[in-house]
Amino acid sequence: MLRRLTQAQYVNAIHDLLGDDLLVSRPMEPDVSLGGSISVGAAGTSISPRGVEQYEALAYDLAEQLLRTGARRARAVSCTPMAIVDATCAETFVRATGRRLWRRPLTDAESTALVTLAGNAAMTLNDFHRGLEYALSAMLQSPLFLFRVEIAEPATGADVARFSPYSLAARLAFFLWNGPADDDLLAAAADGRLSTDEGVSAEVTRMVASPKLNRGLRAFVTEWLGLQRLDAVTKDPMVYTSFSSDVPAAAREETLSLAEHLAVTRDADFRDIITTREIFVNRRLASIYNVRAPSQMRPDGFGLTTLPEDSPRRGLLGHVSMLALAAHPVSTSPTLRGKFIRESLLCNEVPMPPVNVNTALPEPTTGLRTMRERLLRHQVDPTCRSCHALLDPIGLALENFDGIGAYRTNDHGAAIDASGNLDGVAYGDSRGLTQTLHDSPAFPRCISTRLYRFAYGRHESDGEEAEVGRLAQDFAYGGYRLRRLMSSIAVSPAFRRADSTAGRQP
Amino acid sequence: MKHSINRRTLLKGLLGGAAISIGLPPLECFINANGTAYAGGGTSFPKRFGVFFWGNGVLPARWDPTTEGTGYALSPQLMPLAALKPDMTIISASRVLTTNSSPHLSGPAGLLTGDALSGGTVTRPSIDQVLAQEIGGETRFRSLEIGVQRSDNSYSFSGPNQINPPETSPRAFFNRLFGDGFRMPGEMTTADPRVRLRRSVLDAVGGQAGDLRNRLGSADRIRLDQHLEGIRGLERQIARLEENPPSLAACRRPDMPPEAYADIDGRPQMSAISHAMADLMAMALACDQTRVFFNMYSQSVNNTLFPGAPAGHHQLTHDEPGEQPMVDAIVRLIMSDLAYFLSALRGVPEGDGNLLQHSIVLCTTDCSYGKSHSIDDYPMILAGSAGGALATGRHIAARGENSSKVMLSILRAMGVRATDFGVGAGRTMDGLSALSP
Repeated sequence: MLRRLTQAQYVNAIHDLLGDDLLVSRPMEPDVSLGGSISVGAAGTSISPRGVEQYEALAYDLAEQLLRTGARRARAVSCTPMAIVDATCAETFVRATGRRLWRRPLTDAESTALVTLAGNAAMTLNDFHRGLEYALSAMLQSPLFLFRVEIAEPATGADVARFSPYSLAARLAFFLWNGPADDDLLAAAADGRLSTDEGVSAEVTRMVASPKLNRGLRAFVTEWLGLQRLDAVTKDPMVYTSFSSDVPAAAREETLSLAEHLAVTRDADFRDIITTREIFVNRRLASIYNVRAPSQMRPDGFGLTTLPEDSPRRGLLGHVSMLALAAHPVSTSPTLRGKFIRESLLCNEVPMPPVNVNTALPEPTTGLRTMRERLLRHQVDPTCRSCHALLDPIGLALENFDGIGAYRTNDHGAAIDASGNLDGVAYGDSRGLTQTLHDSPAFPRCISTRLYRFAYGRHESDGEEAEVGRLAQDFAYGGYRLRRLMSSIAVSPAFRRADSTAGRQP
Repeated sequence: MKHSINRRTLLKGLLGGAAISIGLPPLECFINANGTAYAGGGTSFPKRFGVFFWGNGVLPARWDPTTEGTGYALSPQLMPLAALKPDMTIISASRVLTTNSSPHLSGPAGLLTGDALSGGTVTRPSIDQVLAQEIGGETRFRSLEIGVQRSDNSYSFSGPNQINPPETSPRAFFNRLFGDGFRMPGEMTTADPRVRLRRSVLDAVGGQAGDLRNRLGSADRIRLDQHLEGIRGLERQIARLEENPPSLAACRRPDMPPEAYADIDGRPQMSAISHAMADLMAMALACDQTRVFFNMYSQSVNNTLFPGAPAGHHQLTHDEPGEQPMVDAIVRLIMSDLAYFLSALRGVPEGDGNLLQHSIVLCTTDCSYGKSHSIDDYPMILAGSAGGALATGRHIAARGENSSKVMLSILRAMGVRATDFGVGAGRTMDGLSALSP
C-alpha cells in the first residue's frame, strides 16, 4: 500500500532526518480526510500537479538550507570532497541520506543515478556541495519519500505474507511517532530483530517510552476529533464578542494537551477525557471559561487547572474546540453536536439527511425561544424523526454552552433544559451525559476502532471486527490506558500481516 | 524570429507524444508574422474551458427566467449578469439523473462526471479534467484551479479521491503564474544552467518511480501514475523556460495583489478576493498559460458569513423562513462576482472578438433549491461559445432533459469527438439540441 506523508509527517521527517533547525515554511499538498480519517485519506489520495510544484520548491529550499553553508553541511556530509566531482564522497552522502529518507537501503542502481546527477550538477555549477543539493532534492521529490511504500515479503510455507522489516519499521514509526524510523529501528530492521516477536516487542516498548509518542498521540487525537477543522472555523464577532482569531489554535492546543496529559504524562484511564475537571487553559481560554488563569504556565502560556466541583463543565464536551466546531457561526447546533457524539464518541453510523425535504426551522419567537422548542419539529415529523431522534436530544444536553463554548443558563430569555437520556439512560444535564458516555462500553470500543483506522490507514473489514474487539477487550482489561492500546496494536501479529494491498518484493 | 512551430515540435519530442491525447483536431495556435496575435482571425484562437462553481444552490423561484428563447427576460437572481446577456445561455429545468444520495455532493458529481458517487467519491474525472487531458497539453499548466472561499476542497477531480485543490490566495496564485516560471516575450535572457538541472532531477525522479510502479497493486498504481503525470507536467513547465514565450497582444504581467485580505467584521472579503482572482485568471488565459480552469468560488455546505448576512450561508438556506430574502441577497452577490469574472474574460481582446467568446465557462452550483437539496431543475449558465460553437443569448428550459446532454454539447463544442458522456442513468449519446448555434 502507498501512504502519502501527511503534512505533519513531512515536517517530522525533515526534522528527524535532516535536522530540526530546518524551516519547513512553504505550502504543500493539503491533507485529505476520507471517512473522517486523515490516515485513511493519506492511503487513498495522490499528489496533484500543484502539489508536485510545491514539493519541488520545498525540496530545493530544504536542500539549500542543509548544504549551502558550514555547520549544517558538516553534519550532513561526513566526507571531504577531493575534487568538484567526487563520486566516492557523493555516494557516501547519497547512501546515508537515502537510507533514511527512503526508509530502506538504496539499490546500487538508485545510488548510481543519484551520484551521477550530483556529479553533473557539481560540474555545471563548479561546486561539489551544490551538486549534492540536486541529489538531495531528487530524493525529497521522489514518490519513495513522499509516499510510504509498504512492501510484503512472500509467504513461506504455512506463514501468511508479512511486511518486509523496513516496511514494518516505517509502519511502527509513523503510527507511534507520526514520523520516520530512527537509526535504532532501522538497525533492528537490518539485523532481523523486527522479524521476531521479541524483537518487535522490545522496539515497541522503547518507542512508547519515547517523547516522540506525543506526536503519534496528537496526530491520532487530531483526526479522531477532527481538530484540523478548527483552521476553518468562523464565528460572527458581533454575536460572539470574546471570539478572536487566536481562539481556534488555543482551543486545539487545550484538547491535545489534555489528551497528552491523560495518555502519556499520567498514563491514566483515557475515558476520563470526557469527565475530567482538569483543564489546560491560556489566558484567552480562561476568560471564555470564566476561571482564574493557572499560577504555573508552560512556556507556550498554557497551564493545568482544575474546575470547581460544582462547575457545569466536564471534559472534552466542555472544550471550546468541540463546542465551537459542532455549531454554526452565529448559534449552537444540537444536531451537529449530537452527530459528533454519535459518530466520533460512539462510532454510530448516522445516515445522510434525506433529499427533497423542507428543512426550515421556525425563527425564535415568544412561544419558541429555546433550541429545544424550535427543534421540536424534528421530533414530531416522522421523516425528520428517524434520524434526529438519535441526534438532537443528546445535543440539547450541551445547550448550556453557546456557539463558542461559553456557559449560559438561558436562551432568548428562556431557561435552558439540558436533561435527556442516552439510549435509555437518563441524565439531568451535560455532566450526566458525560458520565453516561464514560460508562458506556461503546465509548472505549469506539476509541479502539478509531485508533485501529489511524494505525492501518483504512477502515476495518468485516473479517477484522474480531481483531478490533480483541483490542477493545485488552483496552478494558488494562484499565483503558491509551498508551497500552497503542502498544497492543503495534505488537499484534495482525499489524505485521500484509494484506492484499501491500506491494510486492522486487 | 518566433518559435511557435518549434515549440510545438519540441514539446511532442519531449513527451514522445504520450501526454497529448487523441481525438482532437490540432489547435491552430500559430502566431502571425507581426507576433501580435494568433493568425487567422477569431476562430483560430485556442478554445478555453472553465467551471465557475458556488455552493448551496439558488432559489429556483427567483432564479429561473419565466420566458424562454432569445427574447427572454432575466430573473431577479440573474439581473447582476445583465451586461453579459448576449454572451451567455441560461439552462434551466434539466435534471441530474444519477442517484441523489448525498445532499450537496450528488448533484455536482452527477453533473460534472456523469456518474453517481461511489464510496463517497466520484468514479471518474470531472469534465474540466476530461478537457484538460484533451486540450491541456499545449500550455504551461494543463489546468489551473482557484477558489475564493479558503478551503482545500473542490469538485475538480482527476479520478476517485484525486482532488485538484484550489489556490485561494491571490498572492500565491500570482506567484505561481507570474513568478519565476513566467517570462514576457523578449525577456529571454542568458540560459540558466539550473533549468536543465531541474529537468534532469525530475527525469531521475520519474525513473525511480517506474521501478516502484511494477511492484504495486492496481489502485496504488493509479495513484502513483497521477503523481508521475504531475512530474511530467512540471518538466513541461520547465522546458518552457528555454523557449521564447508566445507573443500575445493582450498578455501582460499583472500587478502583484496584496499578500492577504483580512476579514472585515469577521467576514471574508469574498468579492475583493474574487475580483483579484478574476483579473489574474483572465491574464493566465490571455497569456495562454492554461486553457482549462476550475474556479471553486465557494464550497458546498459552506457557512461563509457574507457581508451583512446575519448567519452563515448554509445555515440560512435551511433555517431562513419564508421567501428567504437573505439567501436571495447572497445568491445575487455571488452573481455579481460571477459577472465581474466573466467581464474580465470578455475584456481581453482577441482578434476581432474577445477571450470569453473563445471560451465556454460552465457556471453552476450543487443543487437547485438549497433548502431541499433538489437536483431537479439544475441551475446552469454557459458563458461564451467556444468561437461560435454554442448558441448564446437565450434561455433554454430543458424540461426533464439529462444534464449530461449539456456536458456532451460542451465537449463537442470544444472540439472533442466524444461519442457519449456519463454512465448508467447519467449516460447520453446526444447533446442538447437547443444549444446548437
